[in-house]
Amino acid sequence: MSVTSRPAHYGFAEHWLPRLVLAPSFLLVLVFLYGFIAWNGALSFTASRLLPNYEWVGLAQYEALFASERWWVAVHNLFIFGVLFIGGAMAVGIVLAILLDQKIRLEGALRTIYLYPLALSFIVTGTAWGWMLNPGLGLEKLMHDWGYAGFSFDWLVNPDRSIYTIVIAGIWQSSGFVMALFLAGLRGIDDSIIKAAQIDGASLPRIYWRIILPAMRPVFFSTLMILAHIAIKSFDLVMALTGGGPGFSSDLPATFMYQMAFTRGQMGLGAASAMMMLVTVSAVVVPYLYSELRRSRHV
Amino acid sequence: MSKPWRGVLYAVLLIAALYYLLPLYVMLSTSLKTMDEIRAGNLLSLPGAISFDAWHKAWGTACTGIECSGLSGYFWNSVRMVIPAVLISTALGALNGYVLSKWRFRGSELAFAMLLFGLYIPFQVLLLPMAQTLGWFGLARSMAGLVFVHVVCGIAGTTLFFRNFYVGIPDELIKAARLDGAGFWRIFLRIVLPMSLPILMVTLIWQFTQIWNDFLFGLVFSSGESQPITVGLNNLANTSTSVKEYNVNMAAALIAALPTIAVYVLAGKYFVRGLAAGAVKG
Amino acid sequence: MGALAIKNVTKRFGDTHILKGIDIHVDSGEFLILVGPSGCGKSTLMNIIAGLESPSGGEVHIADRIVNDVAPKDRDIAMVFQSYALYPTMNVRQNIAFGLETRGVPKKEQDEVIARVAKMLQMDHLLDRKPGQLSGGQRQRVAMGRALARNPKLFLFDEPLSNLDAKLRVEMRTEIKQLHHRLKTTIVYVTHDQIEAMTLGDKIAVMKDGVIQQFGSPQQIYDTPANLFVAGFIGSPSMNFIPAHLASEGGVIGVSLQSGDAACFAPLLDSQRYAAYVGKRVIVGVRPEQWDLAADGGGLACKINLTEPTGPDTIVFTQINGIEVQARLHPRDARSPGSVLHLRPDMSKAVLFDPETEIRIG
Ligand SMILES: Nc1ncnc2c1ncn2[C@@H]1O[C@H](COP(=O)(O)OP(=O)(O)OP(=O)(O)O)[C@@H](O)[C@H]1O
Ligand SMILES: [Mg+2]
Repeated sequence: MSVTSRPAHYGFAEHWLPRLVLAPSFLLVLVFLYGFIAWNGALSFTASRLLPNYEWVGLAQYEALFASERWWVAVHNLFIFGVLFIGGAMAVGIVLAILLDQKIRLEGALRTIYLYPLALSFIVTGTAWGWMLNPGLGLEKLMHDWGYAGFSFDWLVNPDRSIYTIVIAGIWQSSGFVMALFLAGLRGIDDSIIKAAQIDGASLPRIYWRIILPAMRPVFFSTLMILAHIAIKSFDLVMALTGGGPGFSSDLPATFMYQMAFTRGQMGLGAASAMMMLVTVSAVVVPYLYSELRRSRHV
Repeated sequence: MSKPWRGVLYAVLLIAALYYLLPLYVMLSTSLKTMDEIRAGNLLSLPGAISFDAWHKAWGTACTGIECSGLSGYFWNSVRMVIPAVLISTALGALNGYVLSKWRFRGSELAFAMLLFGLYIPFQVLLLPMAQTLGWFGLARSMAGLVFVHVVCGIAGTTLFFRNFYVGIPDELIKAARLDGAGFWRIFLRIVLPMSLPILMVTLIWQFTQIWNDFLFGLVFSSGESQPITVGLNNLANTSTSVKEYNVNMAAALIAALPTIAVYVLAGKYFVRGLAAGAVKG
Repeated sequence: MGALAIKNVTKRFGDTHILKGIDIHVDSGEFLILVGPSGCGKSTLMNIIAGLESPSGGEVHIADRIVNDVAPKDRDIAMVFQSYALYPTMNVRQNIAFGLETRGVPKKEQDEVIARVAKMLQMDHLLDRKPGQLSGGQRQRVAMGRALARNPKLFLFDEPLSNLDAKLRVEMRTEIKQLHHRLKTTIVYVTHDQIEAMTLGDKIAVMKDGVIQQFGSPQQIYDTPANLFVAGFIGSPSMNFIPAHLASEGGVIGVSLQSGDAACFAPLLDSQRYAAYVGKRVIVGVRPEQWDLAADGGGLACKINLTEPTGPDTIVFTQINGIEVQARLHPRDARSPGSVLHLRPDMSKAVLFDPETEIRIG
């Protein structure tokens, strides 16, 4: 990407048209993304509560944030959710992709089934799983009907467990996505390498472990990036499934930010928490993008 | 692989399929039951007499807060929001992708890198300033404001889709057209755009799904008259104070899901391609 | 009249210098060949002539007019690309018409032009097909047709035949040559196939590393290559480069050749021009066909290591002055490997190079 060919441009139109065409989008992004990041950053240093108030308070909002129990619950939840959601979706997705790659009949139909949840809104997913995991008439009742009289499932209303319901629904929705990406990656591997390994007498699991999975590294990392990104931005699912509750036991940073900024009149605090989210995302994404751009520069 | 192993393989795959289909089945069967039947049966029991009452209620009379007129209004709000937002963001993405791949100029790569990072920004950092700004322009809690937000936040993705596709169109084609006397617009309209059908489909579908399914912006930037269906569904399912009507909730969830599922079923090929394209960002 | 003049054109991409001061002059109606190894900057130069890339320095003149600031469409040129660059969504007719249409040629005239071009290239039956439905050779034809549709002052061909199979390539080569005879338009033609270069060109410019190594008629380039690179690049099999000492024996300047135990002294013709090099090491360039069988038993007795019959000739491989040498002989004269042949170089055609500068001497 460092040395790119630029066509020669002649005359006013060829010189200015490309710039003019790009300009509106560029300005929108410059102002409404980058400008707003700066603005939000500024808000996080002010005493804004219900309305913006540009009284400078330095790092007070960040201090308040770090002193807030609720924030730490949200961060802790994000950690639990991130690890379990990413790990679970990856595991399920990779296994399904490998299994589907065994020349399965009905592959098309199965793929369609595994992937459809991704077309759904997280709100729909949350509503559906909220009903199924519902302590009264949902899963619990089903198990009772099946004869497991002692079965109890109260995660949705149990402050110690509520975050796990979000993990369950999240994995259900996103694992098909992992499957699709890995399957595409597996299909991209040169068949002759596998044939050569088979001729060398390697067993199928060994071929996967030693040859195919290492070749999937790029897919693995980009999938990881996307899932991490989904995890950090997760908002809808929590709102629909638990509303952050019971209490604030299943809050994530995104719901924390919303609550502070829009329902509890703590704008400065909300802005500070949003900045923390941005910093976290950047810490993951910037090195990734940098390495991607460098790589494409060297091809 | 030996026979028994293949048996196990198929069994695992089918169980997985059941796992994915189960919530859909539960939603559908629940939405066709009456509340009495729900209390009497369980998640998996089939509806006895199929009843569309829950669907009628979810569409027309269920309460979503104080208002009790179902999801129909929200549904049409979403339609009115999604069409302009998808069309505008896709059109801008196509033009940007064309410039960034075929009419590069000094600085265009930097612009692209800035757009690229825009894909990853957690939108929470935009909410407060955006709410303020929309207010100044009198667009707070309006449909136009919501469309605007979706366009701004969608540009990065659509541009990337088109740019990556157009990079694959040989430069020689553009050169030939320039020698043939065609300029910027004629090359775009006559040569590039007719070749864009696949990526156009991918982008339209991707944007449609994203915007239809959005909840955050709908929640923050709209109210009453302009709220999209996801907000309506959430209100319906979570804010009713009286006894929960799960059949209505499920019918409402299905109503909210139908358009995107329909798109997925009709154009799944493009949907999957969009995923793959979105995954190899950069 | 000068149809095309390139004056000290340079091109940089970032820090890499791709073209380092190119000078070329082509007269009207001439067929110029640009030949050189892959990556030497041929396409870049073509793009600069066409105006698709701007030079970092220097001037491009077309029909005695500076065109550095003239847009490609106003340079009155047509170009055929290596990949053909046919518009995939248009059929052949529309492909040919596109350039006319953008220039506002009336529909009726467009149809006439299409008919003329289709007749000329015998592709009437292809007009309604899309490029995807054509074979490689047919696409190539359409690409030429598109270029011929306008009557440009200058044709640019960038390796138009390199994607075709060997047989088709020879056919199209002849066709292009006939076309040039008929139309008498100026053509600049890029190739890295030296046979195409020799057969088609009125003039050849041999390029390497962004520098024109030699510019002249095919025969000039073949007979008196300017340096080792040109000598090795043009001609197949390549010229033999035999390291030797330039010596003077009894007032005659020549080189001594040795093969196995045999040795001989090969006197140079018109040898006074080499006088300055007597006693120094030189490289003697002798093309494979410039060896004769010494029927009288003179020449150099060479042991044959290998033979390669090509049909009309047989190439025999032997060792002279420590390097492998190829000689092209009539099959009747060739012997099987292991036997000995008396070979004599045609020193009237041999060329000498300075081993340091690699430039031709004399
Ligand atoms: N846009 C560009 N940016 C950077 N380097 C380039 C660009 N275009 C060409 N080059 C470099 O310039 C050199 C010459 O390229 P060019 O395409 O002119 O070669 P060529 O002689 O036509 O080769 P071939 O016979 O393979 O077609 C190559 O080393 C190439 O890598
Ligand atoms: Mg080239």
